[in-house]
Amino acid sequence: MDIFLSEKNRTVRRSVHTFCARELKPIANEIDQEASFPWDVVEKMGKLGYFGIQVPHELGGAGLDTVGYIIVVEEVSKVCAALGLCISVHNSVAVYPLLAFGSEKQKHKWIPALAKGEKIGAFCLTEPNAGSDASGIEATAIRENDHYVVNANKVFVTNGGVADVCLIFARSDPSAGRKGISVLVTERGAPGFVVGDLEDLCGVRANPVTSIRLYDCRVPVDNLLGKEGMGLRIGLAALDRGRIGVASQAVGIAQAALEASVKYARQRHQFGVPIAKHQALSMMIADMATQVDAARLMTYRAAVLSDQGKPFSQASAMAKLFASETSTTVTDLAVQIHGGYGYSKSYAVERYFRDARVTRIYEGTSEIHRMVIARGVIGS
Amino acid sequence: MEIHLIVCVKSVILNAPTGKILRSSDSCELNPYDRPALETALRIRDELGGRVTAVSMGPHSCAFALYEAMAMGVDNAVLVCDPALAGSDTLATSSALAAAVKKLSPVDMVFFGTRSADSDTGQVGPQTAVLLDLPLVTNVHAWECKDHGLIVQREADGFLERLEIGFPGVLTINPVSAPPRDLGLSSIDLVFKQGQVQKWSLRELGLPPGCVGEAGSGTRVLALSRADRARKCEFLEGEAEAQVDRLVERLLESGLI
Repeated sequence: MDIFLSEKNRTVRRSVHTFCARELKPIANEIDQEASFPWDVVEKMGKLGYFGIQVPHELGGAGLDTVGYIIVVEEVSKVCAALGLCISVHNSVAVYPLLAFGSEKQKHKWIPALAKGEKIGAFCLTEPNAGSDASGIEATAIRENDHYVVNANKVFVTNGGVADVCLIFARSDPSAGRKGISVLVTERGAPGFVVGDLEDLCGVRANPVTSIRLYDCRVPVDNLLGKEGMGLRIGLAALDRGRIGVASQAVGIAQAALEASVKYARQRHQFGVPIAKHQALSMMIADMATQVDAARLMTYRAAVLSDQGKPFSQASAMAKLFASETSTTVTDLAVQIHGGYGYSKSYAVERYFRDARVTRIYEGTSEIHRMVIARGVIGS
Repeated sequence: MEIHLIVCVKSVILNAPTGKILRSSDSCELNPYDRPALETALRIRDELGGRVTAVSMGPHSCAFALYEAMAMGVDNAVLVCDPALAGSDTLATSSALAAAVKKLSPVDMVFFGTRSADSDTGQVGPQTAVLLDLPLVTNVHAWECKDHGLIVQREADGFLERLEIGFPGVLTINPVSAPPRDLGLSSIDLVFKQGQVQKWSLRELGLPPGCVGEAGSGTRVLALSRADRARKCEFLEGEAEAQVDRLVERLLESGLI
């Protein structure tokens, strides 16, 4: 698995691993159960650059490449998938669009604080009636002089409860269909900006997923990202990167489940031998290790293609599909290996099992990914 | 006064070797006991002004440990690297490090961890101090800066000892002295883009090959095998109070308390 990694990448991995083992591991179960966001750890992560991984140094970021980014997401997700999700979403679908499509003024206004984790970013596309079909959004942004008047009901917003800077997708031209969607950078605290209740989720519970609603919220025209009508293009470009992040999050969860299973299977004795000696178990572990390895390689491939400036949409879609499905399979097997204990909150595999499940749903379901991949393979 | 501090670091083997030791960033890490020494030197530098140089000895693949030191904030890094160093024991290693410290002089203080996580001898710091003919304080738990030196505190056998040590000197740093900082991603990126590790061969150090490697070693490892720790489980019977008495008795018998 290390063939893609430079000494710099390895140093990144070791340092993130060490930090998460000390700061996050001891609280991972507790923040999952209490559905609480660990601000103190997040603040430290911000100072260490985890919230501006690919942001250039001059804007206060760490200046790493996509491979560096997925290493951080994988290592954090191994310990706490909810914070892996927070970092992945913040970096790839909140900060990246500002970097790629923002004006110099916009970049300097928002990115330095986002890169240091002093502000948290969110991506607000999904609505009650628009999920997989993003072009079906109903939010509106009607221009009035130097403002847009935005009305929106965004649901399942990752980081929603803590986000300061939200990318709101809304129709600036309700008659223009797919080409009438724009992105407006909206800040928490603006009049009419309302954060909904926390979703009581099955997994990734330490991430404050909420709805965000805007009622006649006046957003300055200067906050338009790119140009009017570029919304879907910006969203899809962001999601291409986001998918690499979700894939690495899924790889992290699966790796954690694999390591826990190997440890347990060596310790647990039945019929006079460690259960790892039973062929049924060892075959399971062999399959788990192989699938995790393949998922990681696919994820690295997508990241390397992105870093080389080559097309990576297909690779990132395949990596996201395979890694998320692998993650649910592997965590399911991990519960099986742990038996009754695996179904109990005493062992972390129960959390991994719940955390993995959502990776097949967000940032494009497995089914949408199969559609996208099929279109790429067969042609439209 | 701009001070110059040197920290000697080692990349240690992560797992007990089963055959020939191949040192790389996958099989090794920066000795965890060296991180507090680096942290201490960096804090003293920040207080007094000056620079910190990290020095290590090992093959090229060990340079990663020095990059980590630079990502922590060290100003310069030197790797003493020569095929003739292979097989060096702690004395030969100390000879090489002492030669590097001399070449880096003037120096105000040389820092070591108390020991290495792999070979666990704790000899290299003190031996290097002797070879450099410098005063030494081992197992330093706390420090404060004074003019032209440091006040240090060491703990030994239940006693706290406060000592004054002038520049130049040598310290071995106990891990409690300064919890090491985490590496920021930005520092890692910049160090690998811009940082450089100087590599010095024996020739550049002016050391004859006979002083180091197997030839310069007073000891030789004859065999290395995994130590098996026998574990046993003992159940104490009876009422809770009787169990506690018996437990205390057993702990006393075994010398654990």
